[in-house]
Amino acid sequence: MRLPDSVTGSFLVVLGAAAAYGGWLLPPVPGQPVGPNVFPLVIGSGLALCGLAIVFGIGHSFEEEEELIPLEDGQAAAAPPPQGKLYGLRALLPPALLLFYVLAADRLGFIITAAIMVYVTSTALGAKWKLALPLAALSPFAIHLIFGKLLRVPLPAGLLPTPW
Amino acid sequence: MLKTLIEAFALISTWEVIIAMFAASVYGLVIGSLPGLSATMATALLVPVTFYLSPIAAIATIVAASSMAIFSGDIPGALLRIPGTPASAAYADEAYAMTRKGQAELALGAGVWFSAVGGIAGVLSLMILAPPLAEIALSFSTFEYFWLALLGLMCATLVARSSPVKAIAGMFLGLLVSCVGIENPGGVPRFTFGLTDLFGGIEPIPALVGVFAVAQVMRAMLTPEPPPLPRRKFGSIMAGQWKLTKKYHWQMTRGNIVGIIIGVLPGAGADMAAWVSYAMSKRFSKEPEKFGTGHVEGLVEAGASNNASIASGWVPSLLFGIPGDTIAAIAIGVLYMKGLNPGPTLFTEKASSMYAIYLMFIIANIMMIPLGIAMIRIAAYILLAPRSAIMPVIMLCCAVGSFAIGNNMFGVVTVAAFGVIGYVMEANGYPVAAMVLGIVMGTMVEQAFVTSLIKSDGSILPFFERPVAAILAAMAIGALLWPVMVWVWRKVKPPQAAAATSR
Repeated sequence: MRLPDSVTGSFLVVLGAAAAYGGWLLPPVPGQPVGPNVFPLVIGSGLALCGLAIVFGIGHSFEEEEELIPLEDGQAAAAPPPQGKLYGLRALLPPALLLFYVLAADRLGFIITAAIMVYVTSTALGAKWKLALPLAALSPFAIHLIFGKLLRVPLPAGLLPTPW
Repeated sequence: MLKTLIEAFALISTWEVIIAMFAASVYGLVIGSLPGLSATMATALLVPVTFYLSPIAAIATIVAASSMAIFSGDIPGALLRIPGTPASAAYADEAYAMTRKGQAELALGAGVWFSAVGGIAGVLSLMILAPPLAEIALSFSTFEYFWLALLGLMCATLVARSSPVKAIAGMFLGLLVSCVGIENPGGVPRFTFGLTDLFGGIEPIPALVGVFAVAQVMRAMLTPEPPPLPRRKFGSIMAGQWKLTKKYHWQMTRGNIVGIIIGVLPGAGADMAAWVSYAMSKRFSKEPEKFGTGHVEGLVEAGASNNASIASGWVPSLLFGIPGDTIAAIAIGVLYMKGLNPGPTLFTEKASSMYAIYLMFIIANIMMIPLGIAMIRIAAYILLAPRSAIMPVIMLCCAVGSFAIGNNMFGVVTVAAFGVIGYVMEANGYPVAAMVLGIVMGTMVEQAFVTSLIKSDGSILPFFERPVAAILAAMAIGALLWPVMVWVWRKVKPPQAAAATSR
């Protein structure tokens, strides 16, 4: 997900300009010189300026390269992971699963949704079914016990209510 | 004073607090020792649990978990050369070199001992610095608060190990996030896009969980799993630590002081303290050539430093609501929820609660020694847990925890969104800590700014008229111009250097 500075910078310019414009449109407080519009105006303009500076590479020289610890002979280098075209998209799996939770939890209930989330995450991180399946079966109950039972968070029961 | 102290003892000697501290300590030790799970993440995931605890117990869990996690990051650093938390990254190489020389006990022992000492030094700084500063802060008006907040935000961008422009951009992003909602000077819906869920604004806590926990799971998806820890028998862990303390007492003190200063600076936390202290130790050492070959001196100084920063990070947080580091940023959220709103009056009105916080810090750092030794001995078993078993549980905790904060699903959406934002920012060199600071401080900055503007009738002059405000303003503007000056200086310097060599 390493994007060129010109892309992230331009995005910030657009976002900053939109924020400033959005702030400018807000109604002022009658009889007051300043209202809810001032702060977004200032922030938005600042953000847009920063974005411009980033596009032009100002401040780039301050950036330190991340210190990668070189591998020693004692530590066998892990085989480079398979780098397919879609490999980078795997990073989007966790937020996607959270959105799945939002959509499905009320209908399926906490236990089933959570089990699916755990199974998918675990498999994506390279677990065999021997680990992923028991984990998916047990961890939702453990979490439910802590949050639902002890802390009284109203977790949706859905199709499969818990025994307690 | 004595009466408050007794009251404070009464506050912390309940079963709830004792159990909460113990459980949070174990939790912090485990999370800190697992590579990829940071102390900030440990604290963020604790927040939903703190909702259901009394105020003192809630703070106890944060204090205990964060102190323990910072120490416990040293364990995989020394044994695997993989720091458990970013705060241990500065000296993981050194500690691992010691392990290879057969001095694992000494390295880990130094980790426990000097962490505990550093932690206690940090609490002392909190006890000594905070009350007199509170006296001064009582006379602050919104002008001073505005400059102070601005100074805090600028500090965070100065100390970031990244481009200051990107850090400032990150800070503005955070401030922009805090603009959302109807809690603004006009009470009109701002940037809500007609969504009722956004009317209440974006809660800082789910945003922090997203940035620190979900983003970490996302990164784990693309990085290879760390190797398992070889099992080994340890000799006595505390042997020789007293000798080290006497030999390196000056380095230890310097580490403590640097850690305290960096902790107080907004936005800079334990990892920065460790880097600076390790570098200082090498710079001022009598035997710098030994650094990198398994020399304990840097470990002493940096270990003493990163734990000292944890407690001193609470100084600006308790006084002004300006977080000293990312852990304190989360703590501020909890303080507000528990009715202990940060501000100078905390030290007069809720003095016993403040004393209770000091006491808990001291107890946590003393507990660190036995618990830390136990943790070192069983670390090999804990680190056997594969990442594919831990990360899914973290995901569940994120989902349930963010739901629990407001008992609505919008929190979960926030967590997911900020996971993506945090991941993209980190990958492109935008410091996440600066954004976090912006989110946490946004409302306060805006209130101070707009109230000041209304008071001054739109004029800028009163911002500089009060003496303290003028000093703070000068500092804030200096901090703002500092990167520009460095940049100009660098631009000017090369011709001179070229001229010097040609002569």
